[in-house]
Amino acid sequence: MFHALVAVKQVPDTTNIRIDPDTGNLVREGVPAIMNPYDAHALAAAVEWKHKLNGKVTVVSMGPPSFTVTIREAIEMGADRGILVSSRKLAGADTLATSYVLAEVIKAIHAEDPIDLIFFGKQAIDGDTAQVGPGVAVRMDLPIVTYAVNIRAVDLDDDTVVIERRTERWTEVMETPLPTLLTCEKEIAEIPFAPLPDLIKSLKYEPEVWTEAGPVEFDVNQIGVKGSPTIVYKMGTPPLPEAGEKINAREIGVQAALDFTFGKAEEAGVLSTMLGGAE
Amino acid sequence: MSNERIEFDAIVVGAGLAGSAAAMVMAREGLNVALIERGQKPGGKNYFGGAIYTHAIAEVLPDYQDRKPPFERPVTEAGFWFLSQTGLTRMTVQGGKLDTEPADAYITLRASFDAWWAEQAQEAGAFLIPKTAVTDFIRKESGEVIGVVTDRPQGEIYAPIVIICEGVNNLLTQKLGLIDRDLEPAEMALAVKQVISLKPEVIRARFGLSGEDQGLAVSVLGDVSLGLPGMGFVYTNKASVSVGMGVMLDVLAEYRLQPADILQRYLQHPAIAPLVEGGQLLEYGAHLIPEGGYKAMPKLYTDGAMVAGDAAAMVNALHWEGTNMAIIAGKLAAETAIEAHSRGDFSQRVTSRYEDRLKEGFILKDLKQYRGFSKFLETHPQFMDVYPNFVNDAIGQFFTAYGKPKQELFKGMLGGLTDRRSLIKAAGDMISMARAVMGW
Amino acid sequence: MTARRFWVFIEQEQGKVHPVSWELLGVARNLASQVQEEAEAAGVEVLVEGVLLGHNVRGIAEEAIKYGADHVYLMDDPVLEHYRNCPYYQSIVAVAGKYQPEVFLIGATTLGRDLAGAVATSLGTGLTADCTQLEMGTVKGANQLLLLATRPAFGGNIMATIVCRHHQPQMSSVRPRVFPTPAYDPDAEGKIIPEDVDATEEGARACILEFIHAKEDTVDIEYSDVIVAGGRGLGSPEGFELIKSLAHAMGGVVGASRPCVDAGWISSSHQVGQSGKTVRPKVYVAAGVSGALQHKVGMQGSDFIIAINTDPNAPIFEVADVGIVGDLYEVIPAMIAEINARKEASA
Repeated sequence: MFHALVAVKQVPDTTNIRIDPDTGNLVREGVPAIMNPYDAHALAAAVEWKHKLNGKVTVVSMGPPSFTVTIREAIEMGADRGILVSSRKLAGADTLATSYVLAEVIKAIHAEDPIDLIFFGKQAIDGDTAQVGPGVAVRMDLPIVTYAVNIRAVDLDDDTVVIERRTERWTEVMETPLPTLLTCEKEIAEIPFAPLPDLIKSLKYEPEVWTEAGPVEFDVNQIGVKGSPTIVYKMGTPPLPEAGEKINAREIGVQAALDFTFGKAEEAGVLSTMLGGAE
Repeated sequence: MSNERIEFDAIVVGAGLAGSAAAMVMAREGLNVALIERGQKPGGKNYFGGAIYTHAIAEVLPDYQDRKPPFERPVTEAGFWFLSQTGLTRMTVQGGKLDTEPADAYITLRASFDAWWAEQAQEAGAFLIPKTAVTDFIRKESGEVIGVVTDRPQGEIYAPIVIICEGVNNLLTQKLGLIDRDLEPAEMALAVKQVISLKPEVIRARFGLSGEDQGLAVSVLGDVSLGLPGMGFVYTNKASVSVGMGVMLDVLAEYRLQPADILQRYLQHPAIAPLVEGGQLLEYGAHLIPEGGYKAMPKLYTDGAMVAGDAAAMVNALHWEGTNMAIIAGKLAAETAIEAHSRGDFSQRVTSRYEDRLKEGFILKDLKQYRGFSKFLETHPQFMDVYPNFVNDAIGQFFTAYGKPKQELFKGMLGGLTDRRSLIKAAGDMISMARAVMGW
Repeated sequence: MTARRFWVFIEQEQGKVHPVSWELLGVARNLASQVQEEAEAAGVEVLVEGVLLGHNVRGIAEEAIKYGADHVYLMDDPVLEHYRNCPYYQSIVAVAGKYQPEVFLIGATTLGRDLAGAVATSLGTGLTADCTQLEMGTVKGANQLLLLATRPAFGGNIMATIVCRHHQPQMSSVRPRVFPTPAYDPDAEGKIIPEDVDATEEGARACILEFIHAKEDTVDIEYSDVIVAGGRGLGSPEGFELIKSLAHAMGGVVGASRPCVDAGWISSSHQVGQSGKTVRPKVYVAAGVSGALQHKVGMQGSDFIIAINTDPNAPIFEVADVGIVGDLYEVIPAMIAEINARKEASA
């Protein structure tokens, strides 16, 4: 039976982040927590193929108990089984420790119930590193296709998959043996409006919770803070850019505004560039 | 995934004040209730002034205080403000009858309150299904309602009784044929409001409240609505102020007014502006309010279904009552549904008992009594401009008459009225007002 | 360890070098100079070295030397002709194991990001993505200077400095155009060191069936001197026609803010910002762009920024050299006319 596994993460909705005008700090209240959008599209693709091939989807998420709501959202979107890997000892992990834990968990699931495709979103919108997917692939010694925009074919007899991968310059059509890990762009699938039975199932769903003690035993030196070679050494605010001048075209007129602009451009030495190099 | 029917003992459409009340009451009796809400969370689509009246909450949840409802402030001071172009007369009462524990009314914000209210329904055992809109009914050939259709794929839910608490846009109520005509714009008001943040100390200072356990709720009449039929309100929250107003839709259309513009004018009024100065706009929103009252009410029941709350036009505008009617109506509909289950009969024979129950209490009585009120305001615009202006001028004159012969003062004050409206007409207005309010 | 090696991955595809490779050679040279004193005191050499994989790419190795590499490790083999994750990361891991570099920089391109995580995981070391500042600094408890890698976090509001204290190589990925291109020295000398490639076609596992070159525009906006970007203020996808006209008049390319791409108004190859591209053109025109942090971090390094927005409080005005409060549908046509008039006048 076709078995897809999707790694999902809960992130703050960074498009809605505000700065407190008095303190200059991040306003964290009221910032909704969402499923990482790239993970959501990856999951939608997995569910699409589950329906096509009459299979099943397992989701895995590593995080605090608050990630339960994200696992329920995954069930609503069509996943069959949700596993939350949660424990204080796993917290503070950088991408290396995270890929270690996820790889161990996925290996354990694979041993009991062979997985054909492992889906990741291309990056998480809070960390933006795009490192965990490739890290897991290396640890599991799997071929990886990043920036996947379309799964053309899955052949369960031949054990191959054909995936379109988009780079800056072109799209590559890659064929890899199963199991394969892919990291997905939003284009890979649209997120459907869940059928009512799936929504109702998600509302009642309790994820399985795995901790650092079991069912998988982790090497304590590779998890959490201990397993993270990188640490945040310090944090600071970025240097404030110096704002230039603001003029109101409605007050002084468009032409005056343009004259001012081109004058400034000349001072800055970019006027010839603006004129397409013709001066 | 099997294709089994999704079935419940009862369905409630809308997890607002009426809906969660109905769900709560039925779930407590052991019924399997589906509470269907189209928003992400209950309350996300609800908006009001406003204050919640505790008598209604207590009827459904006697131990509500132990459950820590998210009230902002108790109403310890309430009354009317009369705005003229540049003036303001305040008539409020504090203490006395308002000094009760718990208070009769608590100022609230709907997003948090409705969410809490729905949680109580869930705790009682109701099953909340969010992010799902009911679009139609499943009916027997005879027309009896036996379930609903939602906007999701495979989205049919069966139940022998459905309580419709869908709010002011009562499309489902219309689909059931319970309304014999479209509501007219004259029967709807658009309420707009802003929630403006202010530090609690500032609220205390500006509104004369002695502590955080004190709150002010006022109805504002007069220049708030440019002399058009409508009323404004001011409510003090913990760390913000809700200011807004409602204007009848037909008037807005006739004068081609944007409610946002009227609200801005109100906020810039010389008496109002200082109250909100320095605050940050937290929220801005608008909501329709059914004002047609008794005459605009649909039939409240049919085979297999009942209607409660705004969907049934249960609003008394003068008294800012709608939420309590919704809650009580939800409860009464639930009791009727429970009765239907015990009798095994979901037809009109039993659902009509809902209307009987409504007649016993205040809801239908008041709606009947006030049925002429909104229309009255429309046909008597002097209550929005002449009289508030007169009150402001007269009292203002009283307090600036130092050194003037007082005979002239009183003539002047009266003249302030008779210049605008003859005594006879004014007397007639008062009688008409009494009739509109008393329902004669 | 007889030398302190500062490595840069030289990225090439189909024989074409990605210019970020040169930018990183400049950074590596800078970092190397910062440890010079410390290294000399220990009697140790400091080297800037490139790592180049491909087939028939020796010419690129020579160019790398002109951009500042002391050595270039060259792995040239048919199995490496087109980028694939397995043979590439395995080959790099092999040479890294052999030479034990101290710092390893990779460009944060799609290829680079596909590769970097695999290399770092395989080597069990730390990797900091999308760094905007890199320097060698003193870290408590460390007996030599370590790489301080700074990157924006939480949409650019906070700058976080990351260190990797106990593992090597200390790895960082850097977006194109964050750092300037170093000088090209045609007389520079260095060594090209060929290395064996053990990767096999079987081990590669991935097979590229075809390359599809897009019919719709996949523009590489990162290296253009002029970018005209449109934002939500355009109001509709048709607004991009006006943006295109201005870009054309200025001899530049079209950029876009994320909401426009999300709304499907224009393809993501034009997206500027945290989840798009980082650009530093000479001239950047932001029309109808509010200037949310996620966008600003992608373009605030531009030399001259012109912002046009009807909202005087739009954050974009905080980074603009000239901010025009006005309607872009009035200002831009006038700007195009002005440009054409001036071109004619000087023609």
